[in-house]
Amino acid sequence: MALGRFVLKRALQGIVVVWGVVTVVFGLRFITPGSPINVIAPLDASAETKRAIAQELGLDEPLYVQYADYVVGLLQGDMGYSYISNTQASSQVFARLPATLELAVVATIVAIAISIPLGVLSATRRNEPADYGATLFSLGGISTPNFWLGIMLVLVFAVQLEVFKTSGRGPGFGGALATLLTSGSVDGLLTWLSYITLPAITLGTYFTALVTRLTRSGMLDELGQSYIKAVRAKGLPETLVRYKHALRNTLIPVITVLGLQLGTLIGGAVITEAVFDWPGLGTLVINSITARDWPILQGSLVVIGVGFVLINLAVDTLYAYVNPQVVHE
Amino acid sequence: MISPRTIRNLKAEFRGSALAKLGLCIVVLVVAVAVLAPVLAPHDPTAQNLDRSQLPPVGFSTTTNSTSTEMVNGSLQVVNETTEINATLTYPLGTDSLGRDMLSRVIYGARTSLLVGLLGTGLAAVIGVTVGLVAGYYRGRVDDALMRSADVMLAFPSLVLAIALVGLWGRAAWSVPDPLVVLGITPEMPASFVLPGTVIVVVGLVNWVWFARVARGEALSVREESYIKAARSVGASDSFVIRKHVLPNSATPVLVLATIQIAAIILLESALSFLGFSGTTLSWGFDIAQGRDYLASSWWISTVPGVAIVITVIGINLVGDWLRDALDPGIGGEGGSGGA
Repeated sequence: MALGRFVLKRALQGIVVVWGVVTVVFGLRFITPGSPINVIAPLDASAETKRAIAQELGLDEPLYVQYADYVVGLLQGDMGYSYISNTQASSQVFARLPATLELAVVATIVAIAISIPLGVLSATRRNEPADYGATLFSLGGISTPNFWLGIMLVLVFAVQLEVFKTSGRGPGFGGALATLLTSGSVDGLLTWLSYITLPAITLGTYFTALVTRLTRSGMLDELGQSYIKAVRAKGLPETLVRYKHALRNTLIPVITVLGLQLGTLIGGAVITEAVFDWPGLGTLVINSITARDWPILQGSLVVIGVGFVLINLAVDTLYAYVNPQVVHE
Repeated sequence: MISPRTIRNLKAEFRGSALAKLGLCIVVLVVAVAVLAPVLAPHDPTAQNLDRSQLPPVGFSTTTNSTSTEMVNGSLQVVNETTEINATLTYPLGTDSLGRDMLSRVIYGARTSLLVGLLGTGLAAVIGVTVGLVAGYYRGRVDDALMRSADVMLAFPSLVLAIALVGLWGRAAWSVPDPLVVLGITPEMPASFVLPGTVIVVVGLVNWVWFARVARGEALSVREESYIKAARSVGASDSFVIRKHVLPNSATPVLVLATIQIAAIILLESALSFLGFSGTTLSWGFDIAQGRDYLASSWWISTVPGVAIVITVIGINLVGDWLRDALDPGIGGEGGSGGA
């Protein structure tokens, strides 16, 4: 039950943060030079036309009324209408969300699948060639700008070898799965792979490197502890010593850092999308900034902020489950 | 602040670590390149020469195919010509699409990266340490309010927020006279250096949270010490206690974090320039972006500046590892957002 109370408390804090996010996103427009009316109105628009536009968008209302309108709108799922295409901002934002999620999830799964075994290997073979290799890889991985890595991958695998797609998303995982289920053909999955492989490596390398480093140093710390000597002395097989005892305790700080670095993952997704023309939230954000399409920009930022809070809540819950101490602090 | 014991630890750790030595060498080299850019650069990094565009780096050669229509024996014929372009030592790392010297651009790019990294980190540290010390020292509601606002900042990925702020606020830049040119040492080089002002302010504004977290933790642990209570009991003001006692105690972890942050901000700056959100065109990220359009014909335009970033950031990260291992500030290391 203590866990339930802990999660509830974190959820309430999360709501406060979401409110802050919405306020910052709303306030952004007022600390930016230039009026949104100039985005919509034609260059030669008369003063009356501009006034009419302001009135229609509610921009002539006092600040607190605009703020209340915005918050109430958001609560009803209304992010306003795009200044450029005049379609609902929420439908554009949510249409883009699955592509970004797909990219982030695939990159994270691959990163975890590679980095934790690699970190353990590195720690248990300390100062052997495998360890040097892993250390070199992780140092390079955290020091490489991911957009540049993406371009280098394009250069090697697409320009020279012509194996992977470098632009767009293809059918998406959903589409590929549908092909598999309806026709039993794996072609859809292969196409999906040809599109997602390079973006996923681009986004995932930094995390693979980071988690490898954390796992390695954590494992080295844990393997030097006296409880490890005790379980070894009891005759526990080395595999169990490593994976049941040492790794389990290593994962606690790894989870914390992963939660903190979530923003980096989303930021990385934005720039990865820009490199590969991946039709996700990132490209939407960049386009909406260039076009000053406020409803789209604000809606995207709110969704990113809320997503961050939700995932962090999940990470905190997982953390509390692995390490019950935090619940009682 | 920096005690003799700290210096002993730093030296001992340095002697035992080949990676620390490598890191320090790289950092010293990059700083020297940045400071002496006008002297070291063989050409003006902005000088265009279309006759010499897309020259490959030394050791490589490329071929271009040009098709032209010519009159041969009284009839029109399509002539395919393959010309081999050889590298020249005048442009050791080749030239870009406008014939600008890549080596000179990489040398000048080091200035942009380091200055944005240092100034941005400085700004983030000043804001973050102030917020963190105040929050940790006063605790209670002040702490709650400040740390919740830090949580709000964390909910925006720093790259996304930075893109939004630079994109919306404009790409203001400061033109700083280059002392080496003003003094007449290298009169042929650009007379001033463009510092991307908005970018510096924005990277500071989006990255202060990491400093606030570290400084708060230190303040929380120090405030219960008896010498702080003693200082307060003799009437020292809060601001005096924070400045004279709490701040010096957080110096070590802040220093380690700052090193990691310089690397993170250099990556962030390169990402912003890559996306076109910067105030200068002499930047590694900018060159990577302009090389993208020529990947098939001139791979080096994107490749060379990227290698410069990787080497620089590896150097700084190695120095960061050295400081962390020697000083053991207990911040768990990987603070700050990188990988942008």
